[in-house]
Amino acid sequence: MKIRTSLPIVFTVPTMAALAILAFVPTIDAINIALQNRELSNPDSVYVGFANFRALFDDPRFLNSVWVSIKWEILTVVATMVVAIPLAVLLFEATSPNVRNALCVLFIVPALLPRVSAAFVWRFAFHPLFGLAVYPLKLITGHPVDLLADPHTAMLAVAIVDVWQWGLLFSVVIVKLLETLPPQPLEAARLDHARTWEVYAYVALPMLRGALISLVFVKMIESLRAFDLIYVMTRGGPGITTETLDMYAFSQGFIESGRISYASSMAVLMMIATTVAFTILWRRVRRWQEA
Amino acid sequence: MRVRAALAAAAGGALVLAAGLAQTASAEAGCSHDIRVLAQPRDGLTLLEKYKDEFKGLSGASFNIDYLNENDRRAKSRADASTVGKYNVYYIDEANVALFAKSNWITPLLDYYPKDYDFADFDPGRQKVATFEDKVYFAPLTGGGDLLVYRKDLLEKAGVKVPTTLDEMILAVQKLHDPDHGVYGIALRGQRGSGANVWRWMPYFRGFGGKWFDGNTPAFDGEPAVKATQTYLDLFKYSPPGTKTGSWDESTGAFLSGQVALLVESTPLSGEAIDPKVSKVVGKVGYARPPSPLTGGGYAHGLAIGAKANKDDAAKKCAGLFIAWATSKENEKRRLDDGQFGELNRTSIMTSDEFNQKFGADLGQALADTAKVTAVNFWQDPEWPNLGDHWGIELEELITGTRTDIKGSLDELNTYAKGLVANRK
Repeated sequence: MKIRTSLPIVFTVPTMAALAILAFVPTIDAINIALQNRELSNPDSVYVGFANFRALFDDPRFLNSVWVSIKWEILTVVATMVVAIPLAVLLFEATSPNVRNALCVLFIVPALLPRVSAAFVWRFAFHPLFGLAVYPLKLITGHPVDLLADPHTAMLAVAIVDVWQWGLLFSVVIVKLLETLPPQPLEAARLDHARTWEVYAYVALPMLRGALISLVFVKMIESLRAFDLIYVMTRGGPGITTETLDMYAFSQGFIESGRISYASSMAVLMMIATTVAFTILWRRVRRWQEA
Repeated sequence: MRVRAALAAAAGGALVLAAGLAQTASAEAGCSHDIRVLAQPRDGLTLLEKYKDEFKGLSGASFNIDYLNENDRRAKSRADASTVGKYNVYYIDEANVALFAKSNWITPLLDYYPKDYDFADFDPGRQKVATFEDKVYFAPLTGGGDLLVYRKDLLEKAGVKVPTTLDEMILAVQKLHDPDHGVYGIALRGQRGSGANVWRWMPYFRGFGGKWFDGNTPAFDGEPAVKATQTYLDLFKYSPPGTKTGSWDESTGAFLSGQVALLVESTPLSGEAIDPKVSKVVGKVGYARPPSPLTGGGYAHGLAIGAKANKDDAAKKCAGLFIAWATSKENEKRRLDDGQFGELNRTSIMTSDEFNQKFGADLGQALADTAKVTAVNFWQDPEWPNLGDHWGIELEELITGTRTDIKGSLDELNTYAKGLVANRK
């Protein structure tokens, strides 16, 4: 096929060039720094090859942060979908359109709040002595509960905030998707005496399969960037129980030792790992969808 | 002859004129741009911002302060100073002055600090903290040591006398601890950080005879550190919820809201305790020197001249003038009038009659007593934040229970410290 106009080139080249510069320059710079032994307090550095990467695998805190990141990723993605889907079905099934719209607006509000503000609000809500969110727990157990200081509950507490923001937003998205479905298949299922849950589990939600999978991917990418939430609420603590990879990299680069090369090598590794993981997942999902 | 005299007169006149011009030029020295300051929130600085016009009159430029809380300020100033260096003035503290000075991110202060502002008037302890390798790097905005701050009413009711030794204090804490009635025995800091949990732990460590290094060999991995850590962990049983991952705000907050019987904290707490705006315990608070053998954690925060943003001498002079003005007697007097106890640093102000009238003679006495036990507890080295923060994380793990082996943790820190020293050579 012959292109008769130069318009596609005119429109795409500048944007692609800008994107390429924005994406590649920092990436290449990060890789470059990761191969040196640069520290903030010391302007001289030399290339050390893969020494930083080798050191990472002997660093128990790094291995811990990888594990924490994986746990955080699974916990928040699953919890968000588990909250969003039933909530959406409930809204769709049990409310009149007006009430539903009003609730939808309400559910979007948490996601509009900047992450840092949300984190601060919830940190106060979780305060063992004055916090509103833990007050019922205090009444039941009879003594103050410090969720953020307990290694067993800290990640859960932070995940609640994440789900509060994204689970509610996703439920609105799913409600809107349900509203776009043609009513005939659902009616047909009902005529065949399908129970309400069966209508959704076997008819409505499978029809939305593609959209739901996209939402899962969006949430997976979003969960990787939970730095602000964790930084404000726990700083990776107590100890290192909520220290994700990005948190640890920042900590090494700017809080504790200023070892930016070491931090960069973590960033590079994280980039490679996520690219590989997402490519594999994406292919799997596509094959499954086509099947 | 006449011509020569006329020439001489003209030359003399020209010299005077030139000198005059030079003087005007130096009075407005270099302040061609507004000064950018990176700081952490302080009542004293907030008050200072009301007098921007005064500084403008003095220098011809204004100033802007960006605020970040302590930990973030440390991270941001380090990142900024080591890369772009956009701030003319950095807020520096005891923990990072060595790092900033050694890395040449800040400039020695006194070369650019106008003589009339009388630097020697600052509290000698704070001057000591501001000095690294015989050069002064910052002018103090706050500082001090530790005080035992206690609730007179609670001690009296329980018949407990003011503890003067650590053993007495532990007994008092156990006796006064009554969480069912909303009173906790003591408040400590658990949050990670060389200036957070480690800061409050160090008086025990140093008090029991511990030291960080013996020459270049780490020496903290012994009995004093183990005992200090054990004591600190034991005391945490009596500290209010929220302090295990909290710092200054959480533990002083609990005290000021009336939920804590006594605590050993940095001196500014005594000023807050008598301020009805933040304190519910006004009139019920007593002060004493920290129980022996605890040493007081000597510290100081202040303003330093950034090296990168102030490219030439004129710019450095301008930053120096700002620092001198911000920490001047006049401005300290304003802070005193405003009741900002924690923002006072000058001997002339702290020994004034007005100070005694405002804060009471017993606080003055306690401050004088505590000055005798105030010490530099931390390792004065550019690597201190690195080592201190590393220990802070291990200590937080011990406090919250994800780690239980004290000796093993210290061994780990020992290995880490050896690596730090080895890297340096």
